[in-house]
Amino acid sequence: MRHILWVILRFVLLAFFLLLAVLPLYWIIITSLKGNKDIYTYPLLYFPRHPTFKSYEALFSFAKFGLYFRNSIVLSLVSSAVAVLISLFSGFGLSRLRKRNARNRVLLSLYFTQMVPGFVLMIPLFTMLTYIRLTDNLVTLAVVYVSMMLAFSTIMAKSFFDRVPVSLEEAAVIDGCSLPQALFRVVFPVTLPGIAAIFSFCFVNIWNELFIAVMLISTNGKMTVPVALNSFISKAGISWDTLSAGIVVALLPTMIIFGIGQRYIVAGLTEGSVKG
Amino acid sequence: MILPTFIILTVLWYLPMIRGLIIAFQHYNMFNLSDTSFSGFANFAAVILDPNVSFIGVLVNTFIWVFASLVLQFGLGFSLALLMRQRFRGRGIYSGFVFYSWALSGFAIGLVWSWMFNGEFGVVNDLLMRSGVIHAKIPFLSNPHFAMMSVIIANVWYGIPFFAIMMLSALQSVPRELYESAQIDGAGKTRQLLSITIPYVMPVIVSTTLLRTIWIMNFPDIIYGMTDGGPVNTTTTLAIQMINKVFQDYNYGQGSAIGVIIMVILFTFAFFYLRILSRGEVQL
Repeated sequence: MRHILWVILRFVLLAFFLLLAVLPLYWIIITSLKGNKDIYTYPLLYFPRHPTFKSYEALFSFAKFGLYFRNSIVLSLVSSAVAVLISLFSGFGLSRLRKRNARNRVLLSLYFTQMVPGFVLMIPLFTMLTYIRLTDNLVTLAVVYVSMMLAFSTIMAKSFFDRVPVSLEEAAVIDGCSLPQALFRVVFPVTLPGIAAIFSFCFVNIWNELFIAVMLISTNGKMTVPVALNSFISKAGISWDTLSAGIVVALLPTMIIFGIGQRYIVAGLTEGSVKG
Repeated sequence: MILPTFIILTVLWYLPMIRGLIIAFQHYNMFNLSDTSFSGFANFAAVILDPNVSFIGVLVNTFIWVFASLVLQFGLGFSLALLMRQRFRGRGIYSGFVFYSWALSGFAIGLVWSWMFNGEFGVVNDLLMRSGVIHAKIPFLSNPHFAMMSVIIANVWYGIPFFAIMMLSALQSVPRELYESAQIDGAGKTRQLLSITIPYVMPVIVSTTLLRTIWIMNFPDIIYGMTDGGPVNTTTTLAIQMINKVFQDYNYGQGSAIGVIIMVILFTFAFFYLRILSRGEVQL
């Protein structure tokens, strides 16, 4: 009898969490499908009277969101790919480093970079870049993002490589591969889930980054999605129809990538921190 | 192998950090770039003694923001993990839905929740009124008493997945034999929880809470999207103040000074936190 009570309670609580998680998403999607009339009515409509894609049309035509979306996609994909590539090498090197002291010290310095507020660097970074006239440049932003993600990516990569037995690459070398060949043909394929995890992690974080992008980008045409959303808010007030459509579009890629990569990210983050 | 990483990190990270420290001690105003003389602690003094923004107030806000968010997130996240521990049908899909908030940009979350807390058309107001809890709409984000609460709620909503995911994995790594032998010895569920589970996952608890505390302090995206420090600076935390100094006042010297203050606080906190809470190794 008590067992059944527990089961019911568990079900209710799980349902509660689910509802809580989904409500905001549902609400913003619904808002984006309502025309302006339906948004600003009271009592609130939990389902649009006349669902319309008008907000999305406005978003892509007069608000030029397509351009910003494209900027963000390219930027995130490229930066993530580069970060993953570099971190694979450094993670591997770190994992196979024989002297434990050096390894720990390197690891510690990597963790250190995670702890400092990102925008203590923002200001000097900005001044440094202004000095060499590299601001307002998407390439610069890409490079900055890569460096932003490198530390954590390397840590993740290292923990993945720790799980690949050294004998694997040793066997490959014995069979006649040079070291780079061994890496690319044998080791990296084994850690594919890990690579997916690191990539997803980088992509999501870069896509969502606001402040550094705002700081470094000034021309309209080069804005990224978060920056664009930020610009929709003016002193005169917020037009929720376009904004909500923009938010939904902004949420889509990360949700997709996160949905796919979630499993791998979880595995990656917890490999290193949980015993056994 | 590791060299490229280090070069990049050094140039793009360590150097700016040192420079940032230096700027905190300089006069650095975008309107008067020719004068970058050293100003000693003038920037710090200006920030602390600012007549418009009470420094103590900002500190208190920061403390409430971090502490309340953390406790709630951890509590709820851990509870969720405990609930999800046993396999059930559809758990994979369920986790996809209940965890996705972590993937969203803090800024977008701030926007979404600001809409939900809207005084006129907000869902929160509507639901509260329909269930009879309140009888008049509350302008959450423009009322100094409710603004902080609202922002914290949004932050908690965002942070639950992090703890849920981490704790779930930690919980799943506890060996079953421990529970079985405890049950044989007559331990009830609560006792099991307290004496077996929690000590076993303590390292994970420590590292995740520390990490999350640092992240909460350093990412004002949610606050920025919801209230931008208002109303009347009731949701202004140190990070928000820094953002304002940089983006509104263009005063880089004072901005850097705040950044340094944040760093000092975090380092001190991390140091004492790890000291007090780590019994035995804390696995990095």
